[in-house]
Amino acid sequence: MFENLKAFFRGFFSSFKARSTEYLEFEERELENVFALILMGSFVGIPSPPTTLVMRIMPHMVREIYVMQRRAGEMDDIFGELAGMFEIT
Amino acid sequence: MKEYLIPKEGFRVLFFIGKGGVGKTTSSAAVSAALSKRGYKTLIVSIDPAHNLGDVFEVKLNDKPKQIAESLYAMELDMEKLIKTYLKHLEENLKHMYRYLTVINLEKYFEVLSFSPGIEEYATLEAIREILQKGDEWDVIIFDTPPTGLTLRVMALPHIALIWVNKLIEVRRKILDKRRTIENIQGERKFMVDGEEYELPSREREDPVMKELLAYKEEIEFVRDIITNRDRTSVVAVMNAEMLPLYETERAHESLKKFKIPFNLVVVNKIIEFEEEVSKIKVRMDTQKKVLGEIHKKFRDVDIVKVPMFEEEPRGLKWLERIGGLIIGD
Repeated sequence: MFENLKAFFRGFFSSFKARSTEYLEFEERELENVFALILMGSFVGIPSPPTTLVMRIMPHMVREIYVMQRRAGEMDDIFGELAGMFEIT
Repeated sequence: MKEYLIPKEGFRVLFFIGKGGVGKTTSSAAVSAALSKRGYKTLIVSIDPAHNLGDVFEVKLNDKPKQIAESLYAMELDMEKLIKTYLKHLEENLKHMYRYLTVINLEKYFEVLSFSPGIEEYATLEAIREILQKGDEWDVIIFDTPPTGLTLRVMALPHIALIWVNKLIEVRRKILDKRRTIENIQGERKFMVDGEEYELPSREREDPVMKELLAYKEEIEFVRDIITNRDRTSVVAVMNAEMLPLYETERAHESLKKFKIPFNLVVVNKIIEFEEEVSKIKVRMDTQKKVLGEIHKKFRDVDIVKVPMFEEEPRGLKWLERIGGLIIGD
């Protein structure tokens, strides 16, 4: 009984925590996307930072490229995500 | 002797710039020969992809310093090899990430990267940096550069690269700030890509991207600090007494001023002198006179040295020492 209650509260708080960081995480993802976009600007026709620098950073960019790739896939749903976040239905 | 050509604070760096075919290589080789003769341990490096430094010294050179005279060493940078090894190294670094990078098909990207605009400038800058980092081995380092356009771009790079890197550091800081805030609420975060788990770094000293950015910034600042320091670097422009090289030298002067790179000397090379008037080349001689007058007017804060056209092509050490003595001024 006590264990169940503990699990319930843990779940309750973790969902609370998740919601509280939702906006921040969205902002973080956007920044990561922008960061990757700047580095790979030459692919979309915007000026690119020094090639040396880009090539040096690339190997560490798994997360950012992943975010960018997903963002590219969900491009038309960006308003959907925003609407969901602000609970517009 | 001109004090901006000899070491003052650590080693001295000299860049010889100018239009194609005005005699940059000969002048720089001459100065290197003259300086080494006076006991300065001198290294002359050709960063021009179309090398002819070896031809001037009449020896075969490669990308390692080769001893020519007692304290004179020379080398020619192999740009193609430099770019290739540079890309190879990066490619290996990237290999284990390939799976996630399918979106941009990196293999193809690498194939064409060596022809990509700008790569030569960056590789040149990288090469200059490497030489400057080992600069303490020498008293004087002389760079024989490719024609003005490319050289000015290379010399502008540290300035431009620093703007980029500072901006990127700013964005990266914001990302790390956000990550830290989220981490404070949610605890340590991981993220999954294709079943593999990655940690999400949130502190500057843990984040490899930030580490690279800061390391790059430090390297570029090192080069910038040397090439903008009056006590360590001098730019020597070589030109002929003709209108086009004059215009080009003026433009170079302007842009070097913009990047605060010290410009000290103009060498006017291949001046034709006749005792009696030769009617066939009178027009030419008049232009020469006019240009020489212009040079004195336009470069008031800069030293000017005139080198006459010699009867034979100045090659080999003896010749070079003679011309070099003329340029450095004993």
